[in-house]
Amino acid sequence: MNVEGRGRLYAPSGLADGPLPTYYEPVESPVTNLLYPHTPTNPVVKYWNRQDNPHNGLANPDYPYAITTYRLTEHHVGGAMSRWVPWLSELQPELFAEISEELAAEKGVKNGDWITIWTTRGEVEAKAMVTPRIQPLKIEGRTVHQIGLPYHWGYKGVVTGDIANDLLMLVADRNVSMHNAKSFTCNMRPGRRSHQGQDGSRVAREMP
Amino acid sequence: MGHMGFFTDTTLCIGCKACEVACKQWNQLPADGYKWTGNSYDNTGHLSATTWRHVAFVEHTRPSDSTGKVVNWLMMSDVCKHCEHAGCMEACPTGALIRNEFGDVYLQPDICNGCGYCVPSCPFGVVDLKLDDGRAYKCTLCYDRQKDGLEPACAKACPTDFITFGDLDELREKARRRVETLHTRGETSAYLYGVDEDTSGFFPPDGPALRL
Repeated sequence: MNVEGRGRLYAPSGLADGPLPTYYEPVESPVTNLLYPHTPTNPVVKYWNRQDNPHNGLANPDYPYAITTYRLTEHHVGGAMSRWVPWLSELQPELFAEISEELAAEKGVKNGDWITIWTTRGEVEAKAMVTPRIQPLKIEGRTVHQIGLPYHWGYKGVVTGDIANDLLMLVADRNVSMHNAKSFTCNMRPGRRSHQGQDGSRVAREMP
Repeated sequence: MGHMGFFTDTTLCIGCKACEVACKQWNQLPADGYKWTGNSYDNTGHLSATTWRHVAFVEHTRPSDSTGKVVNWLMMSDVCKHCEHAGCMEACPTGALIRNEFGDVYLQPDICNGCGYCVPSCPFGVVDLKLDDGRAYKCTLCYDRQKDGLEPACAKACPTDFITFGDLDELREKARRRVETLHTRGETSAYLYGVDEDTSGFFPPDGPALRL
């Protein structure tokens, strides 16, 4: 924030990636960057290069879908508080993933079926919500599918479900270290998650 | 005092369900179970003895227009209409259903004998029998809050004032002005429901509707 209380298009100081705004692809994207083919993603992004924090890369055919995570009005942030409130939990009782009718047809998924979504970090299972509100994108002549995943579930509460954050790569912007949970890539298949805990409970898979 | 009631402006509903939660909290109604329906964001399904507000979500597909939007998400919070000619009241043999001093249809649980005649007599599926004690229950229009001069919990919680509560004559005027405004803005399909019919009904799936 500037002293005059406004943002600036031209910001000569204070930004690690200024002074002018431009466009980069997210660090994981189903496509490459036509504007900067040699520097497709923001060069000053903060990475944590660890074995348990791998990267799907750009335009990786193993992870062809764009995915975003978001909140619902019924739950509060990660859901740790609201999952214990029956009045809120009855309104959004299970983790679901919103997919387009086109992607559902391609994968043979019907509304309400279990689907498994995975990245190089982990996998989650969710109920499929097939909806025309989610539309496939047309980019460079090919179809890119999108998946929407709310993130309010966990293993405790009156309602439980898989943890959307298990899918995420830990990567952050250089200015305020805001972690990116809004755009990354994944793959999806019909059916429930394959990895189970020793007690038979369904847990996230082991670290790679 | 004139009759009190709701004016619900479906053009303003954002589907947050705050009215459902406020209703359950104020009236101390239990949760009805944790079942995901897969029907858009609606996991409530219908009104019942323990659910007196229900937000419906309709995903309305239409040919792509200039905005490129192919889907219009219509949301509307449904509730007892407190009809002028109330089917439930006419069917009730015990006099449990009365019209109270605010002009609302009020169900007295201490008089109700659980015969259930009111249930099929309601064309809107509002009244329902509670299975554990056998009696019928429905929205009281927060009779207890009105006694203290407060608006009903749902209207209080509504962040967009989609639900407005007040004197019906004033609300009728307000509703007519709102339709005129919408028509001026080009939303020519907007109309009022339940203003001249002395009752109101389900919202139309094909466009914005205002109702009383």
